Amino acid sequence: MRQLRAAWARVLGLFTGHRAAADDDLRAELESHLEMETAEFIRRGMSPAEARRQAYLASGGLTQAAEAVRERRSIPWLEGLAADVRFAFRSLRRTPAFTIVVVLTLALGIGANTAIFSVLRGVLLKPLVHRDGDRLVYLRHSSDAPTGASLAFSVPEVRRFRAGAPALGGIAEYSVWFHTLHDIGGESIRVDAGLVTGNFFEVLGLSPVLGRVTDAGDDGAGVPAVMVLTHEFWKERFGGDSGVIGRQVRVDGGSATVIGVLQSAPFFPERVDVLLNMVISPHHTSAMMTEGHTHRMTELLARLAPGASLDQAQVEASTVLARMKAEHKESYDAAANHRVAVIPFKDVLAERAKLTLWLLLGAAAFVLIISAANVVNLTLMRGVRREQEVVVRAALGAGRGRLRRLFLVENLVLTSSGAALGVLLAVGGVRLLTAIVARTSPRANEIALDLVALGFTLLLALLLALLLAVVSALPKEGSMGALVAGARRMTGGPRRHRVQRALVVAQVAVSVVLLAGAGLLTRTMLRLADVDTGYSAAEVLTIPVPLLDPSRFDPATDVLNKERYERMRAEIRALPGVSEVGLGSTMPLRTSILSFDLKVDGKPLDVGQAIPSANLRTANPEYFRAAGIPLIKGREFSSTDIAGSGKVVIINETFAQTFFPNEDPLGKRIAYTGDVLRFTPFDGEWRTIVGVVGNTVDGGLDAKPQLVTFLPFAQEVAVMGGFVIRTSGEAGALTGPVTRIVRRIAPGVPIENVLTITQIKEQSVSPRRLNAALLSSFGILAVLIAAVGIGGVLAFSVSARTTEIGIRMSLGASASQVQRMILREGGLLLGLGLAIGVGAAVVATQAIRGLLFGVAPHDPMTLALVAAAIGVIGLLACWIPARRAARIDPAITMRA
Amino acid sequence: MPKKLDIQPGTLALMILRTLDVLGPLHGYGIARRIEETSEDRISLNYGTLYPALLKLEQEGHIAAEWGPSENNRRAKFYELTPAGRKQLVRETKEWHATADLIAAFLAPKREEAP
Repeated sequence: MRQLRAAWARVLGLFTGHRAAADDDLRAELESHLEMETAEFIRRGMSPAEARRQAYLASGGLTQAAEAVRERRSIPWLEGLAADVRFAFRSLRRTPAFTIVVVLTLALGIGANTAIFSVLRGVLLKPLVHRDGDRLVYLRHSSDAPTGASLAFSVPEVRRFRAGAPALGGIAEYSVWFHTLHDIGGESIRVDAGLVTGNFFEVLGLSPVLGRVTDAGDDGAGVPAVMVLTHEFWKERFGGDSGVIGRQVRVDGGSATVIGVLQSAPFFPERVDVLLNMVISPHHTSAMMTEGHTHRMTELLARLAPGASLDQAQVEASTVLARMKAEHKESYDAAANHRVAVIPFKDVLAERAKLTLWLLLGAAAFVLIISAANVVNLTLMRGVRREQEVVVRAALGAGRGRLRRLFLVENLVLTSSGAALGVLLAVGGVRLLTAIVARTSPRANEIALDLVALGFTLLLALLLALLLAVVSALPKEGSMGALVAGARRMTGGPRRHRVQRALVVAQVAVSVVLLAGAGLLTRTMLRLADVDTGYSAAEVLTIPVPLLDPSRFDPATDVLNKERYERMRAEIRALPGVSEVGLGSTMPLRTSILSFDLKVDGKPLDVGQAIPSANLRTANPEYFRAAGIPLIKGREFSSTDIAGSGKVVIINETFAQTFFPNEDPLGKRIAYTGDVLRFTPFDGEWRTIVGVVGNTVDGGLDAKPQLVTFLPFAQEVAVMGGFVIRTSGEAGALTGPVTRIVRRIAPGVPIENVLTITQIKEQSVSPRRLNAALLSSFGILAVLIAAVGIGGVLAFSVSARTTEIGIRMSLGASASQVQRMILREGGLLLGLGLAIGVGAAVVATQAIRGLLFGVAPHDPMTLALVAAAIGVIGLLACWIPARRAARIDPAITMRA
Repeated sequence: MPKKLDIQPGTLALMILRTLDVLGPLHGYGIARRIEETSEDRISLNYGTLYPALLKLEQEGHIAAEWGPSENNRRAKFYELTPAGRKQLVRETKEWHATADLIAAFLAPKREEAP
């Protein structure tokens, strides 16, 4: 109770009006005490002057007493805080370079870490929106065949998993198919549609925000077609209109009823706009789909049964596959090692973004560490310059605790300014990164500035401030007299020196690792940009014109479509500047979705040898010239290669080298083979090779060369089509005229991806460019910070050794000898840092092996360049203090 | 000159309360003189010790202060025991005796052992 009353009195004491009055009162009281004491001494026979002096001595100092009372009167730390903050700002303003460097490095460190961690958490760590999302798994079927990375499943295979793997409580089928929706806001749009079994939403644990989702009643052939919109598609195309439920939407030739809008959720392996039941696709309900054992186009998503573990599910799935392999030998190439992996859905969603994000987080964390090290170093050095100030303050009555508090407040102001700026950077950084990550992660829309990450980095800033206050140079209790008397150094002890040096070595080493990583990614990007794609890219415009849905083909439609293609081709050809117009199934640099098993006349496969498969593309005679693919042997297609004439094929170089290494492929015959052909408009007849063209790089610049077969566009069903237009003018300028021609002749056909070859190539390079740019900026930042660090430590060392250097010079050391001495000191730290850094880089860069192309993780050239660059920058940073040391005037330093 | 003693924590407040109890309202100088005299100059109080202690007692409501004329007609601030302070003095005196007895009992055996 008494304490409470006293505390209340102290709180009241905080208010200024009260305080001034109390100060006057106190001064009067102390003065009256002094007078009474003086009077007493006079009474005892002292002279008035002597009495006054003695009384003063006995008092122990009026100022000190007043300060002691003041501390008692209110809550001094609170009262002093405002003053300390004001002081801190003043003092930081006096050393702008220091302040700016510290605030910026901290801001960058904190901003980058918060942003990247926010993204990482949103994309990799946060629980899925799906109910019990950690029980969801994705089944991946893969093999060693060239196209075997992700094979999907056939419906008969799915049935076997349903029957034979009880650990998978529910198995949903999912396949992505293109569809064109008509009359959506007055236009036709091409959508990615997920065709799903009725149990899909139940298995995934997703609910509708509007209407209903599919159930078992929507399976089978005789049911009405229904459509569930994804949340994003609903917002984007229907403006979030709830009246959309029940609407009939024309889908290709048929129509479907919108029954619901799904909650926002990530999809894998591809993002979709709408989800439909299977009945919409005649292909999906056909016997080939439901009975073809190798007709693999279904993705499997499953939910672990209650109590079942991931391992159990894996074992059961592998057993089912092994049994199928034994029973259906014809459907599994024994040499290709078919296997199934049960992967948590969350992991599979994160698969592509994971490595990049961890890499960026690692880099950002490194930057934060070295910037913190730098801040510590800079503070230590600043402490040296402030010795005089500290001594004066101590002499004027500031106790050790008071000084510490002053430093703490100053460092808090410093680090919190850095943190505040860092938060701003983080907000911007999250936006930027979200846009980047959206390319590789289906969960990009779940990213938000992460409060945990923010709290963590802010806590870090606070801890750093505390640490700084602790390392700040403070005089020892009782040493004040000596300091005032003129002993000049209280810092620079060997221990503190060692800490600083170790920090600098670590900074250099970390910079090497970061810059090496950045260098490797940059070289990867340059290599990619340099990849010879096999096309000659100059001024070529591409425009896909999908006249036919790949799932429906009939001869009558095909004739009509080919007529329309030909009219468009002729009109485009007549445009000014156009020199060649290629017409083919697949645009340059894109992969063809058509790929078939293959046999070569007269070359039977050995037993156990994997069946080769080749990419199928169609092309008109001008296609090769338009795309700039060189003809190596034989002839291009001609106007006589039409339906009814002899079937011909043009192969690429890889194909020729693989099957005809020492002979002339021209005149040889090949044919497509396999069950799948029955469900396509392509036949298994023998086709005669009439030409060999150069290799092209399709589907990503780092893709390996594939076996490619070109068929004459006019000789086959036009399942897909598009134009490759070479012009003598600027290709981009053709976009308008060409689009108008297509719209007029083929109204209702969605027009997308009208791009020049250069633009398509850029799409493949740009993600890498971003990675390289991000890591490079971290690397360069690290090097700059390390340079400031090493230069600063040397400057500190020089200022601590001023007297020593003065003595050396007066004993005959030349300026250049002194300069060399300091340079050697810096060089040693630099060399040590470089050596450790290169060693660490060789190990660390193994982690980014998967992101590299055309360059080894331990690429000596990159490491050498990085080490040289950091060496040069480091020496430059050393040179400044070395020069200052050389300019020391012995006469001045020794007298001081 | 006798050896100066450090003031044990908490004892100064007790000395001040007792002084005011014995002598009635008194200014800071008077309190300091009285304590120094009672201690036979083994304690010397500087202002930095005395006045924060007075302020603390005042904040706790054990003493009250008022300006008034001193014996030689100077203005001085007089401190006076409040009823709460009087109670506090009784309580603290008891506690102090108890503590002193305890310490005495603790220290006694050793003297017997080593005559």
